[in-house]
Amino acid sequence: MTLLEFALHNVRQRPARNLLTVMAVALGVAAAVALTGIAWGFEASWQKANDARGTDLIVTRLASTNAMPSPFRAEPLQGELRGYPKVRDVVGLLSEMLGVEAGAPPLFVFGWTHGSYLWRHLKLADGRWPAHTDEPAVVIGVVAAGLLAKKVGDTLEIEGRRMPVVGVFESTAAIENGAVLMTLTQAQQTTDKPGKVNVLNVMLDADATDADVNAIKARIRERAPGFVAITSGELVGQNTVVRIAKAMSNATTLIAALVGILIVFNTMLMSVNERTREIGILLALGWHRRTVIQLVCGEAALLTLAGGIAGVLVGVGLTLQLEHLDLLRGKIDANFPLSFLLTMPLLAMLVGTIGGLYPALKASRLTPAHALRQE
Amino acid sequence: MSTTPIFRAERLTLHFDAGRTRALDGIDLEVAEGEFVATVGASGCGKSSLLNLIGALDAPTAGERYFRGQPYSVMLDLADFRRRHVGFVFQSFHLIPTLGVLDNVLVPTIGTPGRSAVHRARALELLERLGLADRLQHFPATLSGGERQRAAIARALINKPDLLLADEPTGSLDSANAAQVLDLISDIRRERGLTVVMVTHDAGVSAHADRLVPMRDGKVAAP
Ligand SMILES: Nc1ncnc2c1ncn2[C@@H]1O[C@H](COP(=O)(O)OP(=O)(O)O)[C@@H](O)[C@H]1O
Ligand SMILES: [Mg+2]
Repeated sequence: MTLLEFALHNVRQRPARNLLTVMAVALGVAAAVALTGIAWGFEASWQKANDARGTDLIVTRLASTNAMPSPFRAEPLQGELRGYPKVRDVVGLLSEMLGVEAGAPPLFVFGWTHGSYLWRHLKLADGRWPAHTDEPAVVIGVVAAGLLAKKVGDTLEIEGRRMPVVGVFESTAAIENGAVLMTLTQAQQTTDKPGKVNVLNVMLDADATDADVNAIKARIRERAPGFVAITSGELVGQNTVVRIAKAMSNATTLIAALVGILIVFNTMLMSVNERTREIGILLALGWHRRTVIQLVCGEAALLTLAGGIAGVLVGVGLTLQLEHLDLLRGKIDANFPLSFLLTMPLLAMLVGTIGGLYPALKASRLTPAHALRQE
Repeated sequence: MSTTPIFRAERLTLHFDAGRTRALDGIDLEVAEGEFVATVGASGCGKSSLLNLIGALDAPTAGERYFRGQPYSVMLDLADFRRRHVGFVFQSFHLIPTLGVLDNVLVPTIGTPGRSAVHRARALELLERLGLADRLQHFPATLSGGERQRAAIARALINKPDLLLADEPTGSLDSANAAQVLDLISDIRRERGLTVVMVTHDAGVSAHADRLVPMRDGKVAAP
């Protein structure tokens, strides 16, 4: 019989209490996994959208740490950028989170330069695209269509302006499926920002290298004070919504870890107190104090490992459900890197080991003769 | 004859409750290598306390203990000493109730070096010797008192001790089982060259022991 087998055996001796402990740990891990998945989902959905569009660099206001970068005049910057080496195209984009139709959750409303490369990755599911840049019409993503219960031929009220839905489209990016899309000109009119964009999307030549990217970044820093050129990944990292989501998920993970430590502490302390005589027997049989510590911490780690694995499964399931919640639908791509999912059970084991440490030390410090006299 | 005794106690004192209970009050004792010593005396005279001190389950208030001439006070690792040199048998068996006989015997090998197959083979050999070959998976509660004590003896021997300490090993057994357990301890002691210190009220022990050590009020009484 190995120490691990003995620890497993002991854990199984108190099924009710240990199951409760496992469930509590699982709950904490599930919450941490779900919130982290959502936080990364925000990030991934933006990055996915930019990647799908074929955007290599984003030019935006330097201090734009808002959810949406603040708008600025597209010209003359746009013209200047077009003249840079390795730049294939520069396209303006205006995006806002707006209340569309009373009663429905707010949606992303995008305005994209008509006829630009941005549109190319979208697939039309029904209807048609806006015919020209001045057509007051919208196309909506499939998820938005479901949320708003709108189809081709219906109208949408956006910022007090009623516009016909002329098409429904599908994208590989969840964030776009949940969005309302119109031409840049129409978006500028709707939000009363003529000539303005909040992002310039830059598409580079296929043979552009990292060095080219860095050269462009440096040139913009120098030529256009107050602006930055960043990759979509960098933009997402600065996004306030993403930051808040990440901070919340980190805080939840921390709280879950602390609660886990306290629960395990309590469970193992009870267990050790009940087993005082048994621990006395082990010590009398020649067990090292460190073997007793390994046993108690091992039992604690087994409990939290089970909780960690269960929690990851529940957390992933929970997020996949949350993703379909109206409020979040089309705004996140739940994202769980495998390394993260594998790390959680290990983190849980660490939590168990820490929680079990004091009870383990207490058990290991018993005088065998005294422990044996306990009932 | 000046061979080093396997155990020696020098003015060994053990007090409880801040000196109000004097469990041991200046014990001098020598146990020779391979000897079978039986400690006898009234309940509460300090026999278990003495055994606990020999087996390093407790620390004395004063005095010194020596194992083959080496003072316990300089031993760095008393757990290691217990594991390598001491086997314990108790009146109430102290088996782990949730483990079967074979696993109980293997408990002292957990966390020790050596292959588990070797430990297992050794446990099986001991259980065979103690007549428990057909009780390997039985839980303690399903065994007779005699069987339980034989399982405990197998467990005490699994790490090949030099010193077997038995605290009233027959105290919970009927006379037939008590006689059998005493015979077994006596036989195994001869087979394996063990030193035995046994606390007992059992009159049958005088047939096996080399020497009786009577105790009274925490002291070795004059014989
Ligand atoms: N842990 C302890 N705390 C307080 N008193 C103890 C403790 N252990 C033993 N004693 C007391 O020490 C005396 C000797 O006990 P013990 O060695 O168990 O005697 P015996 O085994 O001869 O019956 C008794 O009076 C007993 O009550
Ligand atoms: Mg006693």
